[in-house]
Amino acid sequence: MTERPQRQMFEPGTTIDDLKEYMAPFVARLGYKFNTETEFVDEVLESELEILADTGDIYCPCRVRSGDPKEDAKIVCPCIPFFRDEFAGLRKCWCGLFILAGVEDGGELLGVMDEPDGDVDVPVFLASDVPEGQIRHVKVGKTSIAVAHAPDGFYALSNVCRHAFGPLGEGFMDGCHVMCPWHGWRYDVRDGTTDHPNADVRTYPTTERDGVVFVKMRISAKR
Amino acid sequence: MRVKLYGLSTCPYCRMTKKYLASNDVEFDLLEVDLLEGQEREDAIATVKEISGGKSFPVVVIGDEVIVGFNKVRIKELLSL
Ligand code: SF4
Ligand code: FES
Repeated sequence: MTERPQRQMFEPGTTIDDLKEYMAPFVARLGYKFNTETEFVDEVLESELEILADTGDIYCPCRVRSGDPKEDAKIVCPCIPFFRDEFAGLRKCWCGLFILAGVEDGGELLGVMDEPDGDVDVPVFLASDVPEGQIRHVKVGKTSIAVAHAPDGFYALSNVCRHAFGPLGEGFMDGCHVMCPWHGWRYDVRDGTTDHPNADVRTYPTTERDGVVFVKMRISAKR
Repeated sequence: MRVKLYGLSTCPYCRMTKKYLASNDVEFDLLEVDLLEGQEREDAIATVKEISGGKSFPVVVIGDEVIVGFNKVRIKELLSL
């Protein structure tokens, strides 16, 4: 296993409270919070501290390391960005340490492992994190989308420009349009249309609830 | 029916699954993958991947059925508890 630099806070003596203090504000930006079952939370974090002492990082207690650092980076806690669609379907992370911010009783979710079929509202970021006139690339499972803050709200479309695959999430907003950062093709973020023939991109229904922006997508991730 | 539990010593759901099976007097074979080393570990991970499609735990095998995660309802059903 290749060595990665250790975070300073992960020195011997790190406590459950240290982990909570560091994780809570981060997962909040992803639309999540700690499970309401506080004893369960402490149990999971206790396991993570043991793993930290053993391996030098806080790997997921419920999944196994492969030994490949790039692969294993996806199971360092919190791992929500790598499993957005799957966890949105479960309404919690795999271990149940975190639950969607809008879930009141995390206890009810603890034994639930069945993912729904079909479309799921996937939280992508806080509305306050992306001011009007901005667009951002978000990876949901294997799909790259661009989520734009247009004058009349949030819209999600494919991240991939049909001209030459430029990343629309890095483009420039102009009213309800995004200009591709590579050669300036313009797309209407509301419906994905463009003036170029046969080059419209796919859009996804987008909603905002309690300050969190959700994109409706089909879940595709595999654990 | 033969019950096999692939688990991790660190995983809270694995502990719950163990407790649940034990409290219902279900006998089961337990393999804690993270406690294995070398080839044995590799083989166990490969097996879990093959039967469950992933690397998430616990994986409970009851007869021909594979349950990923602590799914009390499914376990109950399959073992007629
Ligand atoms: S599944 Fe939950 S506990 Fe496990 S690494 Fe991901 S966020 Fe952490
Ligand atoms: S790739 Fe988007 S304009 Fe060329």
